[in-house]
Amino acid sequence: MTPSKNEHEALREILRRAYREKQKVDVTKQWQEEVMHRIRDLGEVEGRTSFFAQFEQLVWRLVPVTCLLILGLTLLLSSVEFFSSYDLAQLLVNHTEEITLNQFFGL
Amino acid sequence: MVNDSNSSTDTEVVYQVVSGNVNAFEQLLKKYESHVVRIVNRHIPFDKVEEVAQDVFVRVYKSLPNFKKGGSFKQWLSTITVRTCYDFWRKHYKYREIPVSSLSEKHQVWLEEAMATRSSQSFDERDSHKEAKEILDWALDRVSPEDRMVLELVYLEGYSVKEAAELLGWSTVNVKVRSFRARKKLYKLIKEMA
Repeated sequence: MTPSKNEHEALREILRRAYREKQKVDVTKQWQEEVMHRIRDLGEVEGRTSFFAQFEQLVWRLVPVTCLLILGLTLLLSSVEFFSSYDLAQLLVNHTEEITLNQFFGL
Repeated sequence: MVNDSNSSTDTEVVYQVVSGNVNAFEQLLKKYESHVVRIVNRHIPFDKVEEVAQDVFVRVYKSLPNFKKGGSFKQWLSTITVRTCYDFWRKHYKYREIPVSSLSEKHQVWLEEAMATRSSQSFDERDSHKEAKEILDWALDRVSPEDRMVLELVYLEGYSVKEAAELLGWSTVNVKVRSFRARKKLYKLIKEMA
């Protein structure tokens, strides 16, 4: 039997009241001292950044290097005669007697 | 306005701590200890509250460099507190013994009466908060840590799905679906017992 909406609501209210009824916890001076003791044991927090923060910094530092690398490679590719894989395949198919795989790999 | 000045003061203290003044952390500890303990007390068994609250502050201290300026420190602190509570249950469930004990006949009778009465006022008069608490603890002990956190935040504390998702660091869809399923699971457990 499916419980009715009223039944659900009544149960929810009962459980909410029970949940809210908690014994109060009062922290003591000793507890504060224990926390500060643990904190002091950890030492200074300065410079201890997360992995992602460090990674982000590294990425931004590498941006100019990456730009220069892209520019350099573009210039290199435009100056050197470039064969696409399609051209190479066509060459192999049409001139199999001259260009063998051995020749292609320079062996 | 008050909140703004509070936030800027907190940010200043955070800056001091991150700059190397470890003792400045005590200001944040004293200011927010009751807030943290209140949240922890809602999710964690009474005898573990102090220990978990300590862990929260240690975790906060370690995470201070990641605190974003301009954000609300209190909100950030609440998020860390809820996630520490969730981590507590995850660890606890990993090493706990599977609960085999069931509730007594007294609980079953009480639940049947409470459901039949359908009135929270009668519940007050009945002076049976203890039974309700024991039934709730019994049921929560039988759901996963994820379901437990969602049930406590959304179903019992009344947070919206979005707020709970922010506190737990989960997607709203995840919280919504989990909340629906967990609630059904809870009802099923309690109804089977009754």
